[in-house]
Amino acid sequence: MKKHLGTGLLAGASCVALTVAMASSSFANDKLNELSKSNEAWVMPGKNYSSQNYSPNTQINTENVKQLRAAWSFSTGLLHGHEGTPLVVNGVMYVHTSFPNNTFALDLNDPGHILWQHKPKQDPAARSVACCDLVNRGLAYWPGDGDTPPLIIKTQLDAHLVALNAETGEEYWKVENGDIKVGQTLTQAPYVIKDLALVGSSGAELGVRGYTTAYNVKTGEQVWRVYATGPDEDIGLADDFNSANPHYGQKGLGTGTWEGDAWKIGGGTNWGWYAFDPETNLFHYGSGNPAPWNETMRPGDNKWTMTIWGRDADTGKAKFGYQKTPHDEWDYAGVNVMILSEQTDKEGKKRKLLTHPDRNGIVYTLDRENGDLISANKLDDTVNWVKQVDLKTGLPVRDPEFGTRMDHKGKEICPSAMGYHNQGHDSYDPTKELFFMGINHICMDWEPFMLPYRAGQFFVGATLWMYPGPKGDRQNYLGLGQIKAYNAITGDYKWDKMERFSVWGGTLATAGNLVFYGTLDGFIKARNSDTGELLWKYKLPSGVIGHPMTYEHKGTQYVAIMYGVGGWPGVGLVFDLQDPTAGLGAVGAFKNLANYTQMGGGLQVFSLDGKNPYSEDINVGEYEKG
Amino acid sequence: MKKSIVTLAASAVILAVGTGVAGAYDGTKCKAPGDCWEPKPGYPEKVAGSKYDPKHDPKELAKQQTALDAQDERNAQRAAHFKKTGKWVYDVKKIQ
Repeated sequence: MKKHLGTGLLAGASCVALTVAMASSSFANDKLNELSKSNEAWVMPGKNYSSQNYSPNTQINTENVKQLRAAWSFSTGLLHGHEGTPLVVNGVMYVHTSFPNNTFALDLNDPGHILWQHKPKQDPAARSVACCDLVNRGLAYWPGDGDTPPLIIKTQLDAHLVALNAETGEEYWKVENGDIKVGQTLTQAPYVIKDLALVGSSGAELGVRGYTTAYNVKTGEQVWRVYATGPDEDIGLADDFNSANPHYGQKGLGTGTWEGDAWKIGGGTNWGWYAFDPETNLFHYGSGNPAPWNETMRPGDNKWTMTIWGRDADTGKAKFGYQKTPHDEWDYAGVNVMILSEQTDKEGKKRKLLTHPDRNGIVYTLDRENGDLISANKLDDTVNWVKQVDLKTGLPVRDPEFGTRMDHKGKEICPSAMGYHNQGHDSYDPTKELFFMGINHICMDWEPFMLPYRAGQFFVGATLWMYPGPKGDRQNYLGLGQIKAYNAITGDYKWDKMERFSVWGGTLATAGNLVFYGTLDGFIKARNSDTGELLWKYKLPSGVIGHPMTYEHKGTQYVAIMYGVGGWPGVGLVFDLQDPTAGLGAVGAFKNLANYTQMGGGLQVFSLDGKNPYSEDINVGEYEKG
Repeated sequence: MKKSIVTLAASAVILAVGTGVAGAYDGTKCKAPGDCWEPKPGYPEKVAGSKYDPKHDPKELAKQQTALDAQDERNAQRAAHFKKTGKWVYDVKKIQ
């Protein structure tokens, strides 16, 4: 009987899928977009092209979340920070790891069975040029076209971009997208748009000039590459670049806002997240910090680092670019998550928007078609480097007291270089029009120093002391995080809660009125998304720096999360450092983390009452002589 | 007496801070759209020739582009071979 029901449900589901596919022929070339609409799939970072980390699934909800239990788990066999989240496609879960970036395919009908595994051989020297632990933010999936098989696209710390046959795990192609000898690495998740695999860059702490590249997924050929600094043709500006907002700046600024050739080692790497709008064909991401951290060594606005981009997916050409932090003085690397939404602005105009909580303590909302600035609000009222962002000019009004410069130790600067928000991939509930943001509450003292540039060596040039913000406990070095629900139009925070440590990994929202997130001290928590009330938590083996995801398999909704502390907040614990200024200043701020967690590496999956393939049938996965 | 000294000192501080802020770089005075940087009080407009001159070595500055160009060249060989044979060979020495 049960089996019958299952088959019926499945058949029903594929009928629905078929209807959807036929109805939207305009997206017929975009199987990924279709796949992302199914509750049974999680096919890309952010879940869908809007990057909302939102699931319409209501099976797990505020009424029954207390019944959420461990269903099954998987150890990756590696330590260090485990960022990102797995993918689920066609009944298979794809799990990635920290360096050396292994990939596992797990059978959701019998998750104890590893269908295939890919274990790259990488030059161990790659470890020595990674600024902030040996992390990786995840995988991308391309659904295949009949001639070319479905592919899993992955990055390696040694800066290779690799395509694997999603069914067998065999390497399909492997290209060099950077060279560790000049400090280039890869930590971000690649991104698939149409038949292109997009990939960014890492290494601004080693003076790497940022670039973004698209490869043809079928052939491994480079299609376009654009840079964050330098001549306009390198940056890839469309003819009408910033025509809707010429005051943002237009031509010639990638060199004009630098002195001499400093732009050649100018940073602006993009190692965060992407979003894409199939209707405008624009994808969105942020470029990182300029190099070095010593502001005095690079006079000028340092364009186009720290910029929100809207670029054409086919050509890479920029339609708009808005620089959030001109002439960065704090390492507010502008790479954070982009979440798309459609909302009505204060004038009653329906807008297609992107919302972006930045390292610099401001959450920006722009019209994603032309770059119009809609709102720019403080993530917390303790932000002090900027008095406000003038929406008309788009300029941050700096408070010179909290700037940095040579021969000066800036004090009590908020946010710190770790930002009031970092790499966490947050969520947005389109029914409530609320963003659920995992926030840091860390401030700093900062003193720069002069240093030479040598390709392949660190090029930072600042000493930092970091500590909890004003609302935390500065005596005991706790209270370093917050989680908040935010409306981008009104600027109101519906609720906010303090956390012991930074909420580093991001959030997941569901139509069950829940917001899930992991904490550095090793919990996965669920809060009521209307009120922020803590409804459930579970103690994981190690701290979390990835974000939860959810999927349905055979009628059961599961919530999954990676555990394995690390990343920038974990460097003290991971590399056994004591000097508070080590780890680019993170060691001091997180000196208490080791009292709450140790390293780990794996995946924990939850369901109501812990229902799983083995609880349903104890004989699943048992040895039977073939 | 003591009080007045304190008051005097306090107002001097306020004055100094006030003057500093008025002239300081706050990011709102632009030479051109998208170009609003100013040197901070006491810091040079150009660092070349100053005590903050980074004295970059042009050979070092060129290394990243040289590396990327070399990678692109190897990748192009791999992709061309793949299109011809249907098999991806990473080691370019084994191509041809």
